Amino acid sequence: MPLRADEITIKYGAMTALDGLSIEVRPGEITSLIGPNGSGKSTALHALAGLARCTRGTVSLDTRPIETWRRRDLAKRLSFLPQNPTSPENMSVEQLVRQGRFAHLGLFQSFSRKDLAVVDWALEQTGLVALSDRDLASLSGGERQRAWIAAALAQEAEILLLDEPTSFLDIGHQVEVLELLDRLSTERGIAVVLAIHDLNHAMAVADNVILLSKGKLIFEGRSQELANTSYLQTTFAVHGNFEASASGEPYFRVPLASTPT
Amino acid sequence: MTSSTNNATRATPTRAILALTLLAMGLILVAVLLGVVDIPMTEVIAALTGNGSEQSDLIILTIRLPRILTGILAGIHFAVAGTLLQSITRNPLADPTIIGISQGATLAVTVFLFFAVYRFNSDANTLYTLPVSWLPFVGCVGGLMSGLVIYSLAIAKRMAALQLTLCGIAIGAFLHAIAMGIVVGWGSSRFEIVMQWLSGSLYARGWEHVLFLLPFTVAGLAVLPALYRPVLMLRFDEDVARSFGLSYRLYFSLTLGVASILAASAVGAVGPLIFVGLVVPHLARFVAGRHFALVIPFAALIGAALVTGADLAGRLVGGPEEIPIGVVTAFAGAPFLFFLLRRYR
Repeated sequence: MPLRADEITIKYGAMTALDGLSIEVRPGEITSLIGPNGSGKSTALHALAGLARCTRGTVSLDTRPIETWRRRDLAKRLSFLPQNPTSPENMSVEQLVRQGRFAHLGLFQSFSRKDLAVVDWALEQTGLVALSDRDLASLSGGERQRAWIAAALAQEAEILLLDEPTSFLDIGHQVEVLELLDRLSTERGIAVVLAIHDLNHAMAVADNVILLSKGKLIFEGRSQELANTSYLQTTFAVHGNFEASASGEPYFRVPLASTPT
Repeated sequence: MTSSTNNATRATPTRAILALTLLAMGLILVAVLLGVVDIPMTEVIAALTGNGSEQSDLIILTIRLPRILTGILAGIHFAVAGTLLQSITRNPLADPTIIGISQGATLAVTVFLFFAVYRFNSDANTLYTLPVSWLPFVGCVGGLMSGLVIYSLAIAKRMAALQLTLCGIAIGAFLHAIAMGIVVGWGSSRFEIVMQWLSGSLYARGWEHVLFLLPFTVAGLAVLPALYRPVLMLRFDEDVARSFGLSYRLYFSLTLGVASILAASAVGAVGPLIFVGLVVPHLARFVAGRHFALVIPFAALIGAALVTGADLAGRLVGGPEEIPIGVVTAFAGAPFLFFLLRRYR
């Protein structure tokens, strides 16, 4: 499979969004991208999805540069969910999820039994079966986010790139989404890369944590390894400390009123 | 939303299809039957079946029928072009003026008439002594050229939908200003010639206009089924559409091209019919609801009915002096625009 970015630099005018970043995306592995606002998490995901032009360096899938792939072929391998996508008018949950099958269908081909089964599977995985007929505009933010995740799942891609998929969800739905990603990666060998703000969720779900700051890679490795450094404190400029949680995962606690002045 | 309304939106809206088809056919029938000259229904039928008198043949077959058919085709063109443009620009207020098609056609026709009047040294103040049969071609080419300018800018600068819209509006306003400058500088005696064309009219439209439009209609509508799924995709953000597997640039360009050709040929044939391309897509989407595959067919039906109805009203209300159809559609469209603005607030 491997999807990889080799020393990519992305500049928008004078602003450097990414500075020589390398990432390797491996099957069955969850990678959490963390970092302050504007650190380049979203740009990195766009680059991996072939949606941002690299000023230097290359992103490649199966050793082939990503910009040489037809979008249709790419969509069968890789699905990308941006932050806050706009939902078209008058569209139901099921209709949105069906759009995930676009790459698998010809322009005139109708939905096969298999396509419909995949759509049903995606609705089930995201707990949306009861809501499948509802208009997207009538959903809560969390329900709509899950509908978009379902549409991405319906692509049946082996690589899933998600830009802050849990940001608008309450804690219950956040955990649900993360558990779903964990299940997909262990049971189906799907590679997941997600940008995420909640550091503890990032560390709990990830096999590999990537910490970015100002477009540069600060740290890459396992959560436990990150817990032995002070990168989180320095990068986010907070006085926090690691505690051991009951499950053995590191837990980063930041007490309020301790932010350096 | 209750489950009963869900079921209602699910079922194919057979009644809506039937009602719209009947409405369009009824209007067409009335338009053939009614006119300034009273012709009894039996005479109309006789003319249509080839047994009419010379006078009714002239009125029905040479005047009314081609005029109505031109209106139907133009209505379909404007409505379908508007629907495509509103989808791909994701702008509910988009219509053929937004990509400069109407203004390009206006400028081309104005310049053409300006030179024609001097070249043929005509002092006639009506359209028909001029080479009017050229107007559809001139308008169409002018519309396509301005469409092409905006289109290549959009491609070269990799413009997003909103930038494209703003660019289209700016170029359209610029072209319109030149056309108006020519009209004003020209002097009031010839003012009327351009104004008549500008207000959009089916006056004196004959079989040559039907034959001019028909190839574009057939070609345009033949391509549309292949564009159905891509156009649905184009309603998403560009990043989302591309992630779903759409070759965004290709289908954006193709759809813009089809819309431009439909709009430009219609503007050439009947002048810019304001509001048809803007209003009809909203009605079509309202009637179609979630049945996205029916939006374009509904738009075509409603567009044909609206133009036929507006022309009928324009012919009958004003007595012997016709009210140009563009005036009627604008008159009916303006209140609707207010309604839309309230809805999108």
